[in-house]
Amino acid sequence: MDKSTQSNSHSGNSELNIPIMEWKREKDEILIILSGYWRLSCRERPRIIKRWQSLVKQSSDVRVFHISCTDSADWDSSLVVFFKNAIDDLRSKKKAVEVGSVPAGLSQLLKLSDSDRGGKDGKVNKVDEFEKFATDFPNYFVQPIEFFGAVIIAFMEFISGRSVMRWRDFFESAKQCGASALPIVTLISFLTGLTMAFVGSVQLEKFNAKIYVADLVSLAMVREMGALMVAIIMAGRTGASFAAELGNMNLNEEIDSLRTFGISPISFLVLPRTLALFLMTPLLTLYADVVGILGGLTVGTVVMNFSVIHYLEQTQSALTHMWEVYSGVTKSLMFGLIIGLVGCYKGMYSGRDSASLGKSVTSAVVVAITFIIITDALFETTFSYLELR
Amino acid sequence: MTALPNYSNPVIQVEGLKLAYGDHLVLQNLTFEVQQGSCLVIMGGSGCGKSTLLKSLVGLLPPILGDVQINKKHLWGDDELRADILRDLGVLFQGGALWSSMSIKENVSLPLEIYTDLDETEVEDLVRYKLSLVGLSGFEDFYPSELSGGMKKRAGLARAMALDPKILFFDEPSAGLDPITSRRLDDLITELKESLGITFVVVTHELASIFEIADDAIFLDAQSKSLLEQGKPKGLLNGSKFPQVIDFLTRNDSSSS
Repeated sequence: MDKSTQSNSHSGNSELNIPIMEWKREKDEILIILSGYWRLSCRERPRIIKRWQSLVKQSSDVRVFHISCTDSADWDSSLVVFFKNAIDDLRSKKKAVEVGSVPAGLSQLLKLSDSDRGGKDGKVNKVDEFEKFATDFPNYFVQPIEFFGAVIIAFMEFISGRSVMRWRDFFESAKQCGASALPIVTLISFLTGLTMAFVGSVQLEKFNAKIYVADLVSLAMVREMGALMVAIIMAGRTGASFAAELGNMNLNEEIDSLRTFGISPISFLVLPRTLALFLMTPLLTLYADVVGILGGLTVGTVVMNFSVIHYLEQTQSALTHMWEVYSGVTKSLMFGLIIGLVGCYKGMYSGRDSASLGKSVTSAVVVAITFIIITDALFETTFSYLELR
Repeated sequence: MTALPNYSNPVIQVEGLKLAYGDHLVLQNLTFEVQQGSCLVIMGGSGCGKSTLLKSLVGLLPPILGDVQINKKHLWGDDELRADILRDLGVLFQGGALWSSMSIKENVSLPLEIYTDLDETEVEDLVRYKLSLVGLSGFEDFYPSELSGGMKKRAGLARAMALDPKILFFDEPSAGLDPITSRRLDDLITELKESLGITFVVVTHELASIFEIADDAIFLDAQSKSLLEQGKPKGLLNGSKFPQVIDFLTRNDSSSS
């Protein structure tokens, strides 16, 4: 490293890979000449900036700064920024700045960045975060209510046969969220039944009541776990896909173009999807109930050595009141509705950039699952209050 | 030569329109008319609210103040009426905005299926005819993702014309198109205007297009958030009172010199 650049140098040494700043003082004026290597890749820049700052501090009695740059200097944006900052800094300290001879390109760039100062006071007007929150806040309440109202109107139109909903879209959605979900529902509910049987068997063995594992598994599945597991799978699988699909359509102005044809996006997009999910979730729940019981049966026969008939008879006696099954299915109808509406809502009202699309999809899943758990708790409380359990 | 528009018959009348996104005022005090069978170009610099105005004219963005009448019917009156009015309009969005889950044929036939009682073969004939108008014969079974940007736009135009609209709105038809394709689109506008008497409202800042297609133009100004001037583009070029308009039309940047 060349020592001369560290000190107050007058040597004129032009070492090629470090920035050089030389100055000469005359009464209340100072002449600064920049030369050498002024590039973003140069590591000496912080040092030279510090030297500049200390120079400014020392020369508080200086009235006029002349800054110039030799033509031989090797420079890029870093020198332009240095110049701009230096000039702004000096002007704010009420010093006169005169830019002497600089490379032609540099003076052009300085002029260009000087002429564009954004809005009137040098800042482009932007609404600040708090203001944005204050104006957006009512939307959190008004928009969902508007949406829900529109869905109800669309449903009424559907019932009265005036809807523009296409059955093809309904069947396509039903296939997507129904039949295509069978493998994952099978896996999850089988394993849920299996796990419950294992957990139950250990506890029930203490009371020598191992056969009641059939009651435990079947009641838990049909009342609670079947509907809940299917709902969570549907929220992650179908709710997210609704939000992503509609959000993307919003992004591409596809929803706007539906509106310009006078086609209600609620009837055309939201209704077939929500209706399909509303009808498919209970079917999947019934299926999950059966598969879950089979999971329990597997543990019951293979691990606990009951016969298939014995286990199934015990299950049958546990489920004599079909109400247990119906209550689970009732819940799942509600869950399907929640997932469909939340997914479509989040998609339709997602912002017009890809980042907010990602957020909408995430929140479609999170909000749907939260509502599902809350609704489930409400159902159970109501059932127990009405002595239906 | 373009046919002379009938100057006694405005199809779109805008009066005292004020538009905003949330709390952000975009345009105010807009008053203008569009004559039957003419082509109006909405021009202005980036961010002056051209597309916002278009949205309000096609029923997507309710105004804060003012009135839009289309064929002497209030667009922002009640919702039922608006759906009726919208049936006479066709809109071509910037990227075409084709419904991505449907083929080109389905895109064009959907409005026909919803609003008419035509049987399947008639719909198919109509779709084929509309696609041939925009030079997309043979692409009926393609999906939007399989088309280029220019083709998507033309397919969007075929869809916008599906119901034989009386007014067609274009949002930046030449954006992202090569000069030849955008020239073809301009020719298409002129042809449709002359042969079918369709009224056009076009948002663009493509100077070549403006002089080619416009019978009438309005200039929106971002600074005053208002309509600065209305007139024929050539007339504005020669005799505008506003330096901004002349600068815009001559590509002269007076602010930097």
